[in-house]
Amino acid sequence: MAVQQISNMQPSARPDRIVHDDLAAKVAMWCAIGFLCLFGILGIIASIKFVMPTLFYGQNWMAWPRIRPAHVQGMIFGWLLCIYMSLFYYMIPRLTGTKLFSDKIGIFTVLFWSLGVLVGTVGLINPTDSLSPWWMTKGKEYEEYNPISNAILFTAWCSLIYNMMQTFVRRRYTQMYAALWYAMGCLLWTAFVYMIGNWPSQLLPDHAFKGINDANVNWFYGHSVVGLIATPGGLAIAYYILPKATNAPLYSHKLSLIGFWTLGAIYIWNGAHHMIYGPIPYWLQTVATVFSFLLFIPVFSVITNFFGTIRGEWHQLRNNIPMKFIMAGTVFYLLVCIQGPLQALRDLNAVVHFTDWVIGHAHMALFGTFTFFAYGGAYYAVPRMYKKPLYSEHIADWQFWLSFLGFLVFSVALWVGGFVQGLQWNNPNIPFIQTVNDMAPYWQARAGGGSMMLLGMILFAFNMYKTATVPAPPATEAEIRTSEGRAVAANA
Amino acid sequence: MIKPEKSAALTGIGILTVFTVGLIFTMLIPSFNENWSQKTERDGTRYHQTYISRGGALYRQWPDGTQDNVGPTTVREGDIVGYTDLEEVGRRVYQREGCMYCHSQQIRPLNGEMTRYSVGGSLALNSDEREYVFDQPHFLGTRRIGPDLSREGGKYSDDWQYSHFYDPRQMVPGSVMPAFQWLFNIDAQGNVLPNADGRALVAYVQTLGFGRLIHDPSTYPTHGGWGPWIRPKDQQNFQIRGESAVLHAAHGVRAGEPVSVTNTLPSSPLSKPEFRTPDKLKSAVGSHATPLQTKL
Repeated sequence: MAVQQISNMQPSARPDRIVHDDLAAKVAMWCAIGFLCLFGILGIIASIKFVMPTLFYGQNWMAWPRIRPAHVQGMIFGWLLCIYMSLFYYMIPRLTGTKLFSDKIGIFTVLFWSLGVLVGTVGLINPTDSLSPWWMTKGKEYEEYNPISNAILFTAWCSLIYNMMQTFVRRRYTQMYAALWYAMGCLLWTAFVYMIGNWPSQLLPDHAFKGINDANVNWFYGHSVVGLIATPGGLAIAYYILPKATNAPLYSHKLSLIGFWTLGAIYIWNGAHHMIYGPIPYWLQTVATVFSFLLFIPVFSVITNFFGTIRGEWHQLRNNIPMKFIMAGTVFYLLVCIQGPLQALRDLNAVVHFTDWVIGHAHMALFGTFTFFAYGGAYYAVPRMYKKPLYSEHIADWQFWLSFLGFLVFSVALWVGGFVQGLQWNNPNIPFIQTVNDMAPYWQARAGGGSMMLLGMILFAFNMYKTATVPAPPATEAEIRTSEGRAVAANA
Repeated sequence: MIKPEKSAALTGIGILTVFTVGLIFTMLIPSFNENWSQKTERDGTRYHQTYISRGGALYRQWPDGTQDNVGPTTVREGDIVGYTDLEEVGRRVYQREGCMYCHSQQIRPLNGEMTRYSVGGSLALNSDEREYVFDQPHFLGTRRIGPDLSREGGKYSDDWQYSHFYDPRQMVPGSVMPAFQWLFNIDAQGNVLPNADGRALVAYVQTLGFGRLIHDPSTYPTHGGWGPWIRPKDQQNFQIRGESAVLHAAHGVRAGEPVSVTNTLPSSPLSKPEFRTPDKLKSAVGSHATPLQTKL
């Protein structure tokens, strides 16, 4: 009971013989990769505008405050949730021992979802300067997409829940593996968080959600987007891919149980720590700070579990691409989850709040951790979806180092710069504009690191495209596995 | 022993239960906070009444959303005032242009912050929950790529604001703010004129900080409960400079009756940079914009 192996979960041979065609997973993968490149380019433009504020001068739709939400929303809802869908379509049928309930619904979900992302993005960059509340941004962080887009995304997500729940109830294995709880948590929490975060201001009377009430709902939602949407989805992928890619059993079933239920119970209490020292009651800030520290429980149970899983398997790290990404993501997860609670302390928050430190922190969660998990998942799953070996492990290795080092440059620059700027602000004799100009070297480093991350994304897209399109005879699971790591090992 | 991992339904119920518990405690219970929404008259506190001005007339707004016309009246000490239609459009433009991504609208009760964003000769007052009761969406913000704006109203003239929106680097060398040139039109003579969106935006920006009309720091509670709170160790630094922390009474003027408050004209904010107003722009916008000083 304490130690559970994925291989133990396949007692009968029958579900093993199911041929998964993974059609929906492939469609979702291509939508995700397209969004990754598109919104990665928007991100790099936004970062260059700090150094060259006159870039795209006078172009309203390329103004920094318009592409910034398009980048953030697009990366979360376009890239991350599409690739989560793809990997859910891949792993949930395999973990439940049954076929995906409906490929047609699966493909509808992804295409309709992508439509929602595009509608929302066009509303954000708003080339016509519309002031219509149905079309323009909602103006609150992480929930900028317009109401039309919200309705499309919510409908698409409901169809995904229906599809997945139908798959769950048809499962052949009674016992559900940790990845399945996390996936189910991601599915249900996303629906509820999205509904509650986006709709009160649209459906309730005009005066009902104003001012600080609105801010509180916004930050409940904003924090839950990371904590209850990106985190359970990313951990579901990591819980599946890490034991599979390393061929090592999960370290502890009990730890994964503790991690899952404390994650769900604690994360939602954290929203108010985004308004420490803000115009909200003192008790609410303190509650948020206390619960931020309680997050050490789910985080450390996940970290312990992952490091325990690969004990004795560290030698694989040299040439196992999926494992490399998952373990780098795990280390970033540890860092980001130490940073988060510390930022909720009033004394540290007084310095780092409103600075670029927070931007570095947010990217470490969404890029350093969950995008790395998703990269690892894609490197494991795409060759198996297409039943071909990966096109190039060299390119994958390059992508890893570009993403990893680029992100280190990016985040360290922002942490140092943010801290310096926060301290400068505490001295009112320093003019504000000087604190802005002093950030220039950090912003240049951020744009440089971001370019490396973007280059990694393009290499990733190229590698995936070639894997799918280069003609090759169908390979078995054993052939794919033996091909993995060969090229890199030969190089080493 | 219950094993939710063996039952999809049980897992689902558990997932929703932990979610709902957190939701009740962090969203539902705080939402009953009486300072977070518009209230009826409350004598004995600083905030008595919320008013909203539409088309020149002043309405009293009740918590159920109904309004009654109170006609031209005196806005009393402690009243919070809503937005005019023009300012409401200005809020939409502010929202569309994403100003809140770079400019927060909250002053934290920290000494450096209250000094940096000082108003006239006074420290900037830290933000209060009740200042925001008319704001949908809220613009509290999370990042200060530019300075905080919650005490911005009246610090600069409308002309300065127009020139700055048209070309920020001309007014503040080294600024990284985008030039919002689509808020302006160029007429046949080549004059740069703010369009309707631009005028509305500046009208809104000039209201920032006026949510709280009267401030008597001696009435500030330093204990818990509602309102601004100051950490004990900061309290000794919380000295209001100048005669009193008075903001300007632009809303009182708009309501038709003067408000009996001391007006202090805005003095230079600390470390004001060198300003160069382009002549053409200045002459062009001058006839359209009323400088704040003449309103007062």
